[in-house]
Amino acid sequence: MTFNANDLLGVLPAIILSIGALLLLMSEVFLSTTRAAAQAPASPGERVAQTATAPEISSTQPDRRYQAWLAAGVAALGLWAALSQLGDPAISLFNGAAMSDGFGRVVAATVCGALLISCFVAFGYLEWLRATRGEFYALTLFSAAGMCLLAQATDLIVIFVSLEVMSLALYALCAYLRRGKRPAEAAFKYFILGSFASAIFLYGAALGFGATGSTRLADIAAGVRLAATGGGPGGSAGLLFASVALLTAGFAFKVAAVPFHMWVPDVYDGAPAPVTGFMAAGVKAAAFAVLVRILVSGFGDPSSSIGPHGWQQIIVWLAALTMFFGNLLAVPQRSVKRMLAYSSIAHAGYLLVAVAAMGNAPSRPDATQGLLFYLASYGATVIGAFGVVALIERKFALAGTGDDLSSWAGLSERHPALAAAMSLFMLSLAGVPPTAGFMAKLTVFRSAIEAGLAPLAIFGVLTSVAGLYYYLRVVVYVYMVPEGRADSVPGGRVLSASIALASCALIVLWMGIMPGSFSAMIQSASGSFGR
Amino acid sequence: MMTIGPVHYLVLGAILFTLGAAGVVLRRNAVVVLMSVELMLNAVNLTFLAFSRFPLVQNAPMQGGILQGHVAVFFVIATAAAEAAVGLAIIIAVFRSRTSINVDEFDSLKF
Repeated sequence: MTFNANDLLGVLPAIILSIGALLLLMSEVFLSTTRAAAQAPASPGERVAQTATAPEISSTQPDRRYQAWLAAGVAALGLWAALSQLGDPAISLFNGAAMSDGFGRVVAATVCGALLISCFVAFGYLEWLRATRGEFYALTLFSAAGMCLLAQATDLIVIFVSLEVMSLALYALCAYLRRGKRPAEAAFKYFILGSFASAIFLYGAALGFGATGSTRLADIAAGVRLAATGGGPGGSAGLLFASVALLTAGFAFKVAAVPFHMWVPDVYDGAPAPVTGFMAAGVKAAAFAVLVRILVSGFGDPSSSIGPHGWQQIIVWLAALTMFFGNLLAVPQRSVKRMLAYSSIAHAGYLLVAVAAMGNAPSRPDATQGLLFYLASYGATVIGAFGVVALIERKFALAGTGDDLSSWAGLSERHPALAAAMSLFMLSLAGVPPTAGFMAKLTVFRSAIEAGLAPLAIFGVLTSVAGLYYYLRVVVYVYMVPEGRADSVPGGRVLSASIALASCALIVLWMGIMPGSFSAMIQSASGSFGR
Repeated sequence: MMTIGPVHYLVLGAILFTLGAAGVVLRRNAVVVLMSVELMLNAVNLTFLAFSRFPLVQNAPMQGGILQGHVAVFFVIATAAAEAAVGLAIIIAVFRSRTSINVDEFDSLKF
């Protein structure tokens, strides 16, 4: 077993992100020494007094603002690495354990872009709360590295390890403001259900390994083909059935499909808003990428009953349930953060429609393109929306309560730009024409109709019309409900947050008005998916 | 005298996995829930090892079974350790904020 430098080049975004995270952690060591040096001139008596009171005084904390810029720089570098390889032919890496193809590169670019914008959102949020500690940006970089690897992995063990790299960092990030009741509780719920899902996924991997004697997706595909002709070892067809069901269930947890969605509202509500935005964008992109890889490259053989016609039915039902309940449960929510959590469940349903459309080989390229477009547009929109929530929420994060629709009342009078941005994101989530969300839904539903899933597409359109209600309610509160309380919106302008929100809004508009340039980019890449 | 074959290991793995899953759903103590998750992972390890020691596939690549399964188990063990570290840290954070690790009392995020 050998591998060369080309293999490492193929996973360049993940390597850049990991090195950046390690650099950030290393820099912490030098931070504390410079602080000790600065305190050295003090007389012995003073020094004793200082060390005695040091934990309480926040002003003695070293300046950690450079970390946000370093993290953003690393994310930009990763984005560049993913984009620069975009047009290259697909190559198999590490003896088939990973794959560098257009599909993986677009997902990696989406993840790095989400990370870049999230760094700006988080910077303003953490500085305002005076909660910048050394581990925040390192953890986000590690989890983004896991996401990039996840999008490229073609071996069940590599998928499991990258899944855990991504998830473990995110569990810790959820509990980042750990003094409050809510973040710790959210992190606990995420942790338990997340590791439960990992264990289910892993049991599926073990059964798949048993049936085919290998954890490589390519070998599993060969085993599926063999089982279809009845040539496989005894009982392997049953094992593969159980395997694909467990693997799908494991990832249904991660992408928040409906029977497995219970954790989402609590976690999205309890975690700090910048983390929630990154989680919503990044985890969705990575988990959908790997779900598609498993189902299409692993179990995509059309001749077998486990193949597309087996799992397509499961995915169709998951998608329908997810779209229906996601939109239905979002309606009564008073907290915008919880509403966005249920909306994220609903969007998982629309993305599952694209996955279902991949069951039919002729519509696969279009569905892949639709999925990638949807992931990128949803990422930009949701990070922007949670960026606005972060500005509103800062005040509540210390008090330990959630946000409420009433705290959004009259936002347009105080911060017209913020109100306009929030309305744009809401319209994009609802799928109203001049925005990215509309184009994304259009491409996904078109590919579903092409795949002969017209009833599912029509059902999707109907549920997204129902979704208009709760998205527009936020817009109504922002623009039409007069301000109730004098302190309903914290004042102050934050430069980094403005940059982040402006870039999100620009991406949303650009993808909505000129989808051609973006989908041409994806098209050049997605043709190379699936060997 | 009955010989212990692959089926015994697989059934034991399945039983352990089910017990672990039931523990996650039914037990009220957060640490016991964490232990149940670890039990599920160990059940998976047993399944992996059973399949690599007694391969279903004819002409297995090497004498002692399939190496990939053994490697998988090492990765799972290492990851489970990391998971336990993060999980216990989160449980401590929860305990500090509410002096209880009873899962039923984790309700500040309900509507």
